[in-house]
Amino acid sequence: MSGRRAALKAIDWMAFAERVPNNQRTMFNNLKTRSDAIAAKLASLPEKPAVIDWNYYKTMVAKAGMVDEFEKKFAALKVPEPVDIQTATINNQEQESNKNAVAYIEASKARIGQYEQELEKFKSMIPYDQMTIEELNEMFPETKLDKEKHPYWPHRPISEL
Amino acid sequence: MLSRLVFLPASALKSSGSLGAGLVQAGRCLHTSPQTQAPVPPLPEKSGKVRHGFIPEEFFQFLYPKTGVTGPYVLGTGLTLYMLSKEIYVINHETFAALSVGAVLIYAVKKFGPGIAAFADKLNDEKAAKVQEVKDVAVKSLTQAIDDEKKEQWRVEGRNMLFDAKRNNVAMLLETNYRERLHMVTNEVKKRLDYQIQLQNLHQRLEREHMVDWVEKNVVKSITPQQEKESIAKCIADLKVLAKNTQAKASL
Repeated sequence: MSGRRAALKAIDWMAFAERVPNNQRTMFNNLKTRSDAIAAKLASLPEKPAVIDWNYYKTMVAKAGMVDEFEKKFAALKVPEPVDIQTATINNQEQESNKNAVAYIEASKARIGQYEQELEKFKSMIPYDQMTIEELNEMFPETKLDKEKHPYWPHRPISEL
Repeated sequence: MLSRLVFLPASALKSSGSLGAGLVQAGRCLHTSPQTQAPVPPLPEKSGKVRHGFIPEEFFQFLYPKTGVTGPYVLGTGLTLYMLSKEIYVINHETFAALSVGAVLIYAVKKFGPGIAAFADKLNDEKAAKVQEVKDVAVKSLTQAIDDEKKEQWRVEGRNMLFDAKRNNVAMLLETNYRERLHMVTNEVKKRLDYQIQLQNLHQRLEREHMVDWVEKNVVKSITPQQEKESIAKCIADLKVLAKNTQAKASL
């Protein structure tokens, strides 16, 4: 009777909790509560149902053959197992999430590359007291004074001084 | 001293890049050809050493091998005396004006010079600190961003746990449902059998009680008046005996 059940995988909730980002923490808590409730419900039910004492009933019930009939039908009865419709959906979700994860990691690596490039630029910069104004404008283009738009000193609107 | 002058009106002097005005720019405007792309050496902190405020130290070093320490001073005295005696320099009222102005100037520079120098240095340092801070903040935020990205990647690796949890939930629900069904079947069968037994018991009880009632009724009906009088007399006799016994017991 217990061969058809898929073995339950042990889940390390502590490790799982560590990996949850902060903005998804409520969802994680809800999932945990639901899982715990389901597990509790499962644990509260005994695995095998109570055994029916057929001999006792045979002696007690006066109607002839009723108990025998019941016993035969009961032994022949097969309780259908509930059909599993969700696992396929879950597997699909997992495939999709794997794809998304790969894409996200790619994007993340690209971002890291960008950050490292900028970091390199800063680390290999010549010290400020050895720079010229041209080098400063090269390094930080926003410091370049627009001599065409404002031809007279200080080459920028007075309000921005 | 001159280097401080450069920084006081900072960008103004330097923006006249191509013109090369001022001593500071003079060294750099030689670097016009593409061969001299080497980074410019840093500006000197202090200007060349001078004695008495205006005579460069190099002059004294130049005369030292030939005339020793007193050489330049002797040269200076000799020149002054020559100019005075030959009237190449004529003493007039302008001389005294020059001497007074000179005295005041020297006093002013000696008294207020260091203060103003420190002030200019402070301005310079503030500017440098601000720019350095910009750089530090940028570097820090970039390293922080890189760490965060790495952490997010680590987090993504844990996505399987979510699906394991979901599958577990589904399996547990199925198992619970199956067990509930088994229990329900057993209970229903048991209930029906028990009902039959209860029904039987009820029947038997009703029959028994009915029979008892009927027997009782018949017995009562069959008691004749003669039997009734005899039984009442017997009861009274019994009671009298009992009363005598209890009286005897009570007097004892």
